[in-house]
Amino acid sequence: MLPLMVAGGVVTVIMGFVIVVLLISWFSNPPFGLGNAPPQPVAFPHTVHVAENNIQCEFCHRNVTKGAAATVPAVETCLFCHKDIDGGTVTAKAEIEKVRTAFETDTPINWERVHRLPDHVRFIHEAHIRYFTDEDIPVKYGINGEELTQTPDVAQTCTICHGDVANKIVVQPKTGQSLKMGTCVDCHRVNNVPTDCTVCHK
Amino acid sequence: MKLTRRNFLAWAGLGAVGAVACEGFGIRKGELDIQSSVRQPEDLVRGTDNWYASLCRTCPSCEGIVIRVMEGRAKMVQGNPYYPTNQGKIHARCEAGLQALYHPDRIASPMRRSGPRGSGEFLPINWQPNGMDTLKSALQANGSSSVMITEPLRGHMAVLADKFAAAIGGERLGFEAIDNNTYRAAVKNVFQQDSLPDLDLENSKFILSFGADFLSTWVSPTRFSRGYGEFRQGEGRDRGMFYQIDSRFSMTAANADKWLPIRPGWEGHLALSLAQVIVSEGLQASGVDVDSLVGGSAGIQTLNTFRPEIVAPLAGLTSEMTGGDPVEFLKNLARGFAANQPSIAIGGGSAGAQSNGLFNLEAIYALNFLVGTAGKKGGVRFNPPSPWADVPSSTSVGSLDDWIRITEQIRSGQTKLLLLHGVDPVHGLPDSLQLRDAIAQSGDLMVVSFSPFLDDTSVMADLILPDRVSMEDWGDDISEPGPGYQVVGMQQPVVNPLFDLDPLSFPDVLLTMAQELGKESALPWASFKAMLREGSDALFNLNRGSIEASSADEFWNNMLRRGGWWDELHNGPTSVKPADGLLRTIANKAESPEFNGIGMGADSLYLVPFAHNTLLDGYNGHLPWLQSAPDPLSTVTWQTWAEISDSTADRLGVKEGDILRIESSKDSIRAVAYPSPAAPPNTISVPFGQGRKHGSDYATDRPGNESANVMDILETTTVDGTGSLAWAGTRVRVTKTGESVSISKLEGNVRSVEIGLLPGEEIIKTIAPDNA
Repeated sequence: MLPLMVAGGVVTVIMGFVIVVLLISWFSNPPFGLGNAPPQPVAFPHTVHVAENNIQCEFCHRNVTKGAAATVPAVETCLFCHKDIDGGTVTAKAEIEKVRTAFETDTPINWERVHRLPDHVRFIHEAHIRYFTDEDIPVKYGINGEELTQTPDVAQTCTICHGDVANKIVVQPKTGQSLKMGTCVDCHRVNNVPTDCTVCHK
Repeated sequence: MKLTRRNFLAWAGLGAVGAVACEGFGIRKGELDIQSSVRQPEDLVRGTDNWYASLCRTCPSCEGIVIRVMEGRAKMVQGNPYYPTNQGKIHARCEAGLQALYHPDRIASPMRRSGPRGSGEFLPINWQPNGMDTLKSALQANGSSSVMITEPLRGHMAVLADKFAAAIGGERLGFEAIDNNTYRAAVKNVFQQDSLPDLDLENSKFILSFGADFLSTWVSPTRFSRGYGEFRQGEGRDRGMFYQIDSRFSMTAANADKWLPIRPGWEGHLALSLAQVIVSEGLQASGVDVDSLVGGSAGIQTLNTFRPEIVAPLAGLTSEMTGGDPVEFLKNLARGFAANQPSIAIGGGSAGAQSNGLFNLEAIYALNFLVGTAGKKGGVRFNPPSPWADVPSSTSVGSLDDWIRITEQIRSGQTKLLLLHGVDPVHGLPDSLQLRDAIAQSGDLMVVSFSPFLDDTSVMADLILPDRVSMEDWGDDISEPGPGYQVVGMQQPVVNPLFDLDPLSFPDVLLTMAQELGKESALPWASFKAMLREGSDALFNLNRGSIEASSADEFWNNMLRRGGWWDELHNGPTSVKPADGLLRTIANKAESPEFNGIGMGADSLYLVPFAHNTLLDGYNGHLPWLQSAPDPLSTVTWQTWAEISDSTADRLGVKEGDILRIESSKDSIRAVAYPSPAAPPNTISVPFGQGRKHGSDYATDRPGNESANVMDILETTTVDGTGSLAWAGTRVRVTKTGESVSISKLEGNVRSVEIGLLPGEEIIKTIAPDNA
């Protein structure tokens, strides 16, 4: 009886260990569903920039309609406006000052990535924006299989995967939206676009 | 569970291992960092590049290339280092293939004519139903009286086009403004070979070339330039000897050790003169059966009529040219050619573009038998047949006689449907054929063009169904000339068409039409890619060659990755027996060159047109990089220039930049004078390729651009035995127009100054040895 209990205990411990590892690997990587909002070196509010001042996504994320990576803006891009605009609150002034200092001291800003796909995945923003904004494609579906009744513009296309970033003070993944392989494949299937391995995998 | 010391240690150990493992599964710090650069980079290259092997289609030699693609856009073309013919080298023409892809004048979608024929007025239509249905109706109604004119096709595209034409009961003809039919016929008559041979320049010690500008435009210049480089500077060998006998000072002539400016049309006589010296002095290679080659004593007698004493004055050789007695020069040339083994004799270009061009080339290539290098190392290297039994290894192109016939068929209403792909015969045929008028005036004719660009012929179309350009489409090629063994090149699409373009692949359109017309039995393939894949499977089943694979799928992928398939062990014949009495047979064909039109008066000059270094016969006229690529000798760009000797310029009182009128019995053109000390006094040389009247601004004759088509003034003399256009058989009168322009050339525009003479120049400093 005792050896059986010991064996059962060992199996339980091993299973528990495996489950813990799997859970950690599943949930620890952003944006895998936990809605993590990592701390950023500068508190950049998309609400002020996008929702209030109507700056287009591609003004800062310059490559998003041109290539694979959306890219974050150079510090110099911030200074296009913040050379003169100081911000209305003490907090805002302090954050803007950080950007100015970075520019003056020639120091890059290290942002913390919110959305990340594994290294073996090739994702091209340009192709996806081109697809969703193409008015010649009569029927298109969003990331959860919902039919898009109108052809979205670029900003609306961004929200399909990234959620309503314009109204978020702190950027975090779209609530309840896992950008895992199943999401990609479901969306490709419902939109009748290729699902061959090599379409996404390197 | 009781907490014992043993249990505590076990759990603690497991926990520690778990912690380490969990950390290992996490993401390393820093990996999630995304850095904002400080400055906004204007030229930052983002993304990862991919290199795809494919084929270049900017000239018929079809070189192997690799194309750099970044984020779905082709960025650069380089040579495929594995491809046997060009081995990593490419011509400037290949790089300009990118401009065809991104050209602003590409036809975006199908179009139908909306104004009078030739007016250039078109309305865009959709592929379905308008474009395809119109084509289908035309094929149904007039397929049996159709003519399809394509560029010179090889590989599976040739098979597809021929099968399609046969299935609808029509005819297909390949078109080349400067065709190789005479060269091809000479190779057939002399060597009994169906495909063009390779020239093993790298292993040769003596090159004797007649009229062939093989380093610039003739046949496969990149492959020949590679061989020439070895010929001059190859390791472990002496610098070879190279004579160019040519009525124009070409880039090839400029590289020769000796250039002999022969009177146009006498190349064959001069070749037989060299043969006469070799035979009479017994200089032939050991093992050569001279008696059989010459044709016995009767052959010797015939050959004796070509003694240097007779030929030198006919060929216009003077002591000034040869640096002494021309007769002795020819004898010494023959001795040098025979003594420096292996040696090779090459003929082409203007030597074959005379009324007696076939005789000229046959006489030249027969010299290779005398020196025993036909099929041998350092000589003319023959190519094997195609690896596919049903795919020919050589292309077929119509002759001028064919085009005269087709023009008459159009004019008489016998041809009711003209299908055009990759050709501009209205620009590429002598204007005196009046093909343009025949098409314009034929009320029953329907013209369908598959060209992605407007040109002088596609502007006459009733329906334009734009094809994809080569970087967007599939294809293959059997190299001609091959490198002496079997080579199949593969072309694959490396990018999708730009978003505002809507081209469809020409072969796929043909296959769709075949299915809709119920011709599936002749053309059963679902797509051209499927047809190529079938060819790939056939190569896989041969179980030999350069591609190793365990399955047909793997073979296909590997072949695309490598740019093709080749088998160095499947060579052409290394021994070809000449026909009995070959030299006598050739000598009996000897004729003087024929110059129709304005005659041989003292006020006229030989017109020696030549293929433009980058535009060739005009095929690439719409590509601005190639328009702005300077001619290798004159450095002229964009314009049509006329090379005349300094003495002719003095006689006419013209200087560089003056506009000349060049007149034949057919018509006249304008060209910018380019006096050159290297131009023979009795000739005027004008490049082909310019002077389109319709299409892209880059190619057309705009006011002040001085872009003229030399085809407009050519006599329609044909080559005896092949019916090809004798494009070097025209005499012209040259006069001053009184106008003058600034010639667009690089030469002479930048002063060459000795280093150290310019004020403020401190880049290079000399340190005196004492101070060092």
